Amino acid sequence: MESLPLKIATPEYGPRRLTVELTNICNLHCSYCLRDEDALYHQPANFLPVDLFARVIKDAREFMNIEQVMFTGGEPTLHPGFGKILAVVAAEKLKCSFVTNGWHFDRIWPLILEHRETITHVSFSLDGATAESHDRWRGEGSFARLVRAFSRCWARQVPFNAKVGIRRDTVPQLEQITLFVARMGAAGISFAHIMPTSTDIAELSALTLEERADAEREIAMLRRILKLRISIDVGYYNPYPTAPCSALAGISGNLNYRGELSLCCNLSGFRGANGEEDVVADLKREEFQRALPRLQDLAATQAENRVRMLEGLAAAGTKADLANGSPCLFCLDSFGKTPWSAVANASTERSLPVLQ
Amino acid sequence: MSGAEQSIARGAAIPREDIIFTDLDGSEGVLVDLNRKKFYQLNETAILVWRGLEKRMTVAMIAREMTELYEVSLDQAISSVEGLLASFQAQKLVRPA
Repeated sequence: MESLPLKIATPEYGPRRLTVELTNICNLHCSYCLRDEDALYHQPANFLPVDLFARVIKDAREFMNIEQVMFTGGEPTLHPGFGKILAVVAAEKLKCSFVTNGWHFDRIWPLILEHRETITHVSFSLDGATAESHDRWRGEGSFARLVRAFSRCWARQVPFNAKVGIRRDTVPQLEQITLFVARMGAAGISFAHIMPTSTDIAELSALTLEERADAEREIAMLRRILKLRISIDVGYYNPYPTAPCSALAGISGNLNYRGELSLCCNLSGFRGANGEEDVVADLKREEFQRALPRLQDLAATQAENRVRMLEGLAAAGTKADLANGSPCLFCLDSFGKTPWSAVANASTERSLPVLQ
Repeated sequence: MSGAEQSIARGAAIPREDIIFTDLDGSEGVLVDLNRKKFYQLNETAILVWRGLEKRMTVAMIAREMTELYEVSLDQAISSVEGLLASFQAQKLVRPA
């Protein structure tokens, strides 16, 4: 059967925003994580300094007109100044959200209640609808802690979402996971294709173009059936020239835990990457407003490169393959984040179904 | 009354494995039944009883603890614990030990 791309409406980019990596470390060890293994587990813990964050956020609000800050990591709740970070956001009259594995939710709960007017929602990473399927990736006890976090949010009406990776093991559970999330009182669920960080992950967990299309159709079906807000993050097959994401549309940027400004949180600190051409400035040494034009130029250039690539394929009468059709895979390749894929492709023709 | 119900009535009940308890602030708690995907809110007294069941305490033991914390007679406490236990049982939140 021919795999047809879903009709993608004009992308909704969300509010102008900065994603902020608060730390390099994480307390869990998920093998599919896109962040660099050494930074996560073998290097000293680094936490984004609160004073640097405060300066950047103030400038980003003034010069980039950001409305929202989205915290990620590592595990952002491990930042020892998490309360001070939230206070900075509140002082700037901005809104924020954060993604978490939920393990330390009990500890930070008082901070969430203190700043609940500032926090739009909490996004919990979820790997399955049962302890068995979730803890397989995240370790024993993770699921129970997550459910306790859901309970707190449900009882105090703090909006929360679940973030679910589309992998070989989650595809058969998409409906089960979605219903579970709905029954837990979540405001929404967002699915995202996992980022291929190695040949192992690509072969074991990532889907082929056809399998991705099936998963995306299933998610679209669930969206039609259920009232729950169901979305799929950028990275899906999208061979249309409109800027596919907020980063390439120039309305978002990323601040990593080292205080560097970069294009996108999905490219940042990518596991196994060669180089960091997505980083435009070290904001410890440079003011945000001086670096911002370079970020915007990089976004515009990458968006143009993508359009040229799509136009070239169209001129040749060739359909975009997965590597070209997925905006995230295109950027990963463009910025040298997946050097292993070229090696693997050179060594065997059929070892990488996700990139063939 | 079935054997299981009698057993529970005497206090030999334990929380089911698929129930997750969260203590919100000491005076309010939440149970999640993962099997039926349902939430239950617990007040302070219900939390005391649930925690007692987690510790494998009998009705009498939980009731005695209740009298130490609140100004209630032992009879009143036993009645209160048995009532809550019956509610837990009705919702299939506990099982015989």
